Amino acid sequence: MSELDRLRHAMRVTERPGATLDLAAVMRDGRRLRTRRRVAGAGAATLATGLVAAVVAVVAGALPGDPRTIERPPPVAVAPMPPAGVTPTPLGTPGRTPATTAGRTEPPPSPLGQVIDSGIRHGTDQRVYYVVQVSVPGQPRVKIGLVAGRRAPHGTLTTDLLVNDVEGSDRSPGFHQIGYDSGGSPAPVPTFGYFVGPAQRIIGTVNGRQVAARLARWSADKQVVIFWFDPADLAPGDRLDGIVARDGSNRRL
Amino acid sequence: MWHGEGFDVARGDAEFVEFARAASARLVHAAFLMTGDHHQAEDAAQTALARTYASWSRIRDDDAYGYARRILVNHLVDGWRRPIREYPTEEVPEQRRDDVADEVATRRWLTAILGVLSPRERAIVVLRYYFDLPEAQVARELTISVGTVKSTSSRALEKLRGTGPRAVDTREACR
Repeated sequence: MSELDRLRHAMRVTERPGATLDLAAVMRDGRRLRTRRRVAGAGAATLATGLVAAVVAVVAGALPGDPRTIERPPPVAVAPMPPAGVTPTPLGTPGRTPATTAGRTEPPPSPLGQVIDSGIRHGTDQRVYYVVQVSVPGQPRVKIGLVAGRRAPHGTLTTDLLVNDVEGSDRSPGFHQIGYDSGGSPAPVPTFGYFVGPAQRIIGTVNGRQVAARLARWSADKQVVIFWFDPADLAPGDRLDGIVARDGSNRRL
Repeated sequence: MWHGEGFDVARGDAEFVEFARAASARLVHAAFLMTGDHHQAEDAAQTALARTYASWSRIRDDDAYGYARRILVNHLVDGWRRPIREYPTEEVPEQRRDDVADEVATRRWLTAILGVLSPRERAIVVLRYYFDLPEAQVARELTISVGTVKSTSSRALEKLRGTGPRAVDTREACR
């Protein structure tokens, strides 16, 4: 038996027939996610495509197990790989997000601090990054998320992708969630994220190749280093194999 | 334990329950191959199925299994910073069989050799050699090029060959 045959065999014979998944929880979470999408689609036309890596929105709790939500297709297009949701909290309205119908008048999230122009263009739109306030149930130390958006010539911001922590602190030193294009946005989203600490350089590795990120410090907290990869260096959606940050003395952080 | 009986479920839900029952074992196992951790694998499979259920009305007549698999694999690859863990030997399957010791040894061997791979390499190995997907489909599911699949797969197999003798010794020693 060759190594490859042995590998195939081993992967199959170790499969366990009895799964121990909680189907009730699966369907409950799925309903919440579906509800969140509907709220997001109805509430903010600019917030339609990609909310990434977070806990189910608090608004979803308004309809747990509601059979009326079953099999009702979302009224808006959603990303091909839908993520679990988070509630971007509009400034001035802290606390619980209003329920479904109120979501229709909910304003889009407002940037905290300055909007960063990446220098990347999508037609006449600028690719921009900005921080927004978020609310993750049970995670009081997660208050910000990072958005990859576009800014039209007349200044309107469109959210393509939001990433945020789902546990711990959004200001803990080191790397936080990294956003990858999932194909759900009208414009490809260059890989992005943020690092907390005195990073002067951030280097990603993909297929053994090193790629330098572009950096900008968040105006509201200079410890937060926002980074993104030029799509010419790293194709949007391509997963990094590793990433490191270095300080001004080239020491790894 | 599965739950689901006794629910006041719509027809679509019944279809999903049937789908989930059929797909869960492979999804959980694929996640285990990628993480080396049973709890993490079950969490990942549960997440993938929840997202699949959220889109069920849209995908139920399409390739629902492929959809769930894509979500699972990309969800795990996105968590690439998590290290693979050793398989805890006390967690033997509850359904003991005559060959349980052999299965534990095989699982330990498998965990050892997969543990030397990067998350992306593990994902490609699992998609190619566990799900038996062609390279082009692996590339689509991971949104990478076919060339990347080929080169990464080749590199992964080289690593596995390098790990082979020691792993085989370990397996023999466990008999």
